[in-house]
Amino acid sequence: MRLTGRQRLLLFAPLALVLGLGLVGPAILGLLGTFTTYAPGQTAIRLAGFNNYAAVLRDHVFAASIRNIAVFTLAAVPLELVIGFGLAYILRRPMRGRGLWRLLLLIPWLVSPIASGVMWHFLFASGQGVFDFGAAWLGLREGPSPLSQHGLALLTTVLVEVWRVAPLVAFLLLPGLVAIPVEKWEHATIEGASWLAQIRHVVLPAIRPLALAVTMLLVGLALGTFDAVLILTGGGPGTETVTPALYSYAAAFQVNNWPVGTASAWLIAGAVLVVGAVYVWLARSEPA
Amino acid sequence: MNATGWLERTRRNDIFQKLVLILALVAFLVPLGWTTLASLGVVPRGTHPPGLAWPPSLDHFGEVGVAEPHFWQELATSTGVSIAATLLTVTVALLAGYGLARSRFRVKRYFVQGFLVLAVLPVMAYAIPLSDVLRRLGLDDTYLGLVLGMSAVTAPLAVYVLYGHLTQLSTEWEEAAWLDGAGLARVVSMVVVPMIAPALAATAIIVFVLDWNVLLIPLVLAGVEVKTLPVAMVDFFTFERELEWPTAAAALIISLAPVVILVALGHRLLDQFILGSAARESN
Repeated sequence: MRLTGRQRLLLFAPLALVLGLGLVGPAILGLLGTFTTYAPGQTAIRLAGFNNYAAVLRDHVFAASIRNIAVFTLAAVPLELVIGFGLAYILRRPMRGRGLWRLLLLIPWLVSPIASGVMWHFLFASGQGVFDFGAAWLGLREGPSPLSQHGLALLTTVLVEVWRVAPLVAFLLLPGLVAIPVEKWEHATIEGASWLAQIRHVVLPAIRPLALAVTMLLVGLALGTFDAVLILTGGGPGTETVTPALYSYAAAFQVNNWPVGTASAWLIAGAVLVVGAVYVWLARSEPA
Repeated sequence: MNATGWLERTRRNDIFQKLVLILALVAFLVPLGWTTLASLGVVPRGTHPPGLAWPPSLDHFGEVGVAEPHFWQELATSTGVSIAATLLTVTVALLAGYGLARSRFRVKRYFVQGFLVLAVLPVMAYAIPLSDVLRRLGLDDTYLGLVLGMSAVTAPLAVYVLYGHLTQLSTEWEEAAWLDGAGLARVVSMVVVPMIAPALAATAIIVFVLDWNVLLIPLVLAGVEVKTLPVAMVDFFTFERELEWPTAAAALIISLAPVVILVALGHRLLDQFILGSAARESN
């Protein structure tokens, strides 16, 4: 039974309204606005060509944010994937309490990036933090929080984000691993395949579409990182943990320079769309 | 390879895997356990040898309302806005997902994957013009404007997940209902919804958590009259850093409790939150 045109309109109109008004429309407005002097309350909007982008690209703080987000993404995403996959791989077999495990895997992700920032700020703090307490027990000297130390801050934000996201990855990958038929595992085991060979020839082909989707989500979210550093470091020390989203927010709402705010946001949104296009191309052979 | 060698290897493997699991459990839960203890006033005393303050008390939960006088109001706002946004998101996503699942067009595969890409588009790419659009509509800093903005953030993911489930449904019952002369509203509410109710509930839980924790949208679109918990936390830690750790810990535990309870209650349903083609094999 095919839907009629009117029925289709009724089904798609609500989503179109929500996304058109709340996401796609403003996104297109924003993209077009980056080529103008568009700002709120401004009556005369003039074309600006690529001037806004040029201004952003000249700023050394933005350059630092690009370097930071590249390091952040290249470090966090592989760690999240490997740890998440490892946990899902161990949990794939029926075992007692697996339901409880799936629940536990979600718990760190339930902590919002903001709450996680507050929590880890205090966990790393001297005096009341868990690391200082552990160090004192072992008779070691208390150290300053790694969040304020040059060279350590970015690495620490990566580890905090991995703590929050890696178990979520396990949660998302688990159904794919559980769905692999038992005979395939048995076959591989009888043939004496090493676990690495099992992963390459049995697991990865079976969960390829799922793994692709999860990887794209992780990369996209990592590139847009904002909340996860806002409280934890606020971009510091210096510009060591500034991200493009943080830069864009500060430009738009603290300096009130909307053209620079949207242009810098669209440079990173462009990167996310490129990653998305690669994903759609890689996933094209999978039945959607 | 002989049988005993294989057994030996399997047993060593099992022990190794158990160790990894226990290590992971400790790493996930120690930070939250430490926070829970702190919220109960059980914090290091700074003595030698190191010890923890005892006995625990619930006083710090009361202090949250003193440190941030609007805390309970913000908790109520977060709850109301998240529930409303979740209902709106799941409703529009269900309708559109059903429409997509029962339509055929050439680029559908790319179109559906496009929703997953849209789900991770950085919010800053549209937050600035969105705040301007809502101001012109008179919806800035209102519940309606915030619910709309939050629904738009989560709707693409919900469409993607629900579409995956809807394509798996057998259309037999729908066909029967159509032939009986049922209208679209009746087919969706009486046939489709009951069949994917578990997936719908799982999606609603995940969407609620996303809405509960979203920061940028309420930070940009509201924050004076309508203030959610994440925004309140940001304000608090940006402007007055001298908050005591046990009070902050109590606020964290209160803000975490609703989503933990929700997920715990619905954890059997959460098996149904499945991205993409994995739904095909496990259903």
